[in-house]
Amino acid sequence: MIFPTPEEYTVLVLSLKVGLLCVVISLPFAVLLGWVLARKNFRGKLILDGLCHLPLVLPPVVVGYLLLLLLGRRGFLGQILSDWFGVQVAFTWRGAVLAAAVVGFPLMLRAVRLAIESVDPRLERAARTLGANPLRAFFSITLRLATPGVLVGSLLTFARSLGEFGATITFVSNIAGETRTLPLAIFTYINQPDGEAAAARLVLLSIILSLGALIASEAIARKMKN
Amino acid sequence: MLTLCVHRQLAEFNLEIDVTCAYPVTAIFGPSGCGKTTLLNLISGLMRPDSGQISIDDTILFHAEKGIDLPPEKRRIGHVFQDDLLFPHLTVRQNLLYGYQFLAPSERKFHPDTIIDLLELNTLLDRNPNLLSGGERQRVALGRAILTSPRLLVMDEPLTALDQELKDRIMPYLRHIRTDLGIPMLYVSHAIGEILQLTGQVIVLNRGQVLAHGDFFSIAHQPKILPLLEAHGFENVLPVEVIASNRVQYNNQTLHIPPCDRAPGTHIFIGIRANDIILCQQRPAGLSIRNALPGRILDIVETHGRRLVYIDVGKRLAAEVTPEAIRELALTIGDPVICLIKTHAIRIGPDVS
Repeated sequence: MIFPTPEEYTVLVLSLKVGLLCVVISLPFAVLLGWVLARKNFRGKLILDGLCHLPLVLPPVVVGYLLLLLLGRRGFLGQILSDWFGVQVAFTWRGAVLAAAVVGFPLMLRAVRLAIESVDPRLERAARTLGANPLRAFFSITLRLATPGVLVGSLLTFARSLGEFGATITFVSNIAGETRTLPLAIFTYINQPDGEAAAARLVLLSIILSLGALIASEAIARKMKN
Repeated sequence: MLTLCVHRQLAEFNLEIDVTCAYPVTAIFGPSGCGKTTLLNLISGLMRPDSGQISIDDTILFHAEKGIDLPPEKRRIGHVFQDDLLFPHLTVRQNLLYGYQFLAPSERKFHPDTIIDLLELNTLLDRNPNLLSGGERQRVALGRAILTSPRLLVMDEPLTALDQELKDRIMPYLRHIRTDLGIPMLYVSHAIGEILQLTGQVIVLNRGQVLAHGDFFSIAHQPKILPLLEAHGFENVLPVEVIASNRVQYNNQTLHIPPCDRAPGTHIFIGIRANDIILCQQRPAGLSIRNALPGRILDIVETHGRRLVYIDVGKRLAAEVTPEAIRELALTIGDPVICLIKTHAIRIGPDVS
């Protein structure tokens, strides 16, 4: 059987949804912070840089646990969100998006920052003298020239989110149809006595997806060089 | 009229400028690192003065005490940079219209087609700037700045990155902008020859201070200006009368010059670099050089490691000669000599006003 079963289909759709949303919510922050780190000099820049890159080196389980502390039912932010807005993050698909976003953020930030650094800052100054306000100059010149790097970062983050396991299972657990993304589903099947065939199918799917994202990002990176 | 009174502390010295430019074209001359680029950045709002004020006609661009500091996009200063800074992701046409699009229709003084024709950019419009030559790029940068209908065009050594042939080709465009479009210009250069083709009004800048300001020919011989000029290849300047498109008259002698567009009868200045003058003791035969001016040696001096021989040819000319040549020819003060000048070593300057 080539076609996915309904269960596999649910997993696949959830994984793609989490991946895409994680890219969408990280992007504005990555552009803002990437710009700050690329163009501004201030005290504490190293610390900010370190904090942004921390999720890259921390064990994902630690990230997931910290998120739980912060956004869990009794967490500081979690209480505010649920009392004021009635939004539940922990143990929901929203939490899965957040976990993937936090873990994938350094990858995107790095790509965006490098892309912005490679744009000659004088071009933006020239745009200002031609009548563009700062925001307009940034979006029409710097960000536009940095777009290939931003795309590469987005694809990397997307690919990373497809593989996110530790932070997700710690923060939002493994709930079928809600937070069970590809790696979690594979993990579940492997732990079932007769689940190996099903796991193998998902492993293959996972490889295809990740490889596709990586090839796409490499293709963009190459195109950018030319 | 541009009124400048600014102070700004820089790493090496303080920039301290207090001048008023009433002429349509004023040039700022000075050695590298004298603060020229900083001054332009202060005017266009890319840098902030520590104190002072900047205004054009009745519009205040910056006023420290009143707390006025217009951002660059509100100043309407056309800034042409030394590196053209064209936007690499836009076509030539999009580059040209980048600033134009921000203007309200009532503020647009020039039609894009007029400027495209003037700068002969018609065939380049759909090209990517990266595929243009240096001269073409600089023309696009010029057009892009003009199309913002600026109050003032400031140009930061726009020709420095180009070779001599390209410089000669762009200069007529600059003269067109000056004469036909009527945009006031502030032209920064460390090449007097370039400046004199546009204007005689010069501000001489050194280490952030204005050394002199006024008509080049009246300030050039001031003791504090001369060394600066000499350090940059002194340009001899002679007032001449145009008698044909490639000949001028000086003291009853005819000099051959490169083709120029001035009408016969016009009095203009021509410039000759000190190291483009060859001295000889007799009028030579069988040489291709057309121009030979007889004169007497006034003085032989050494400045900045160079030997300059001053010759009285009706006006004072400086010629750069090696010490060996001075010894071999036994050049002494009072000797008659002939100054040989190649036609193409002569630069066409502004009209004598």
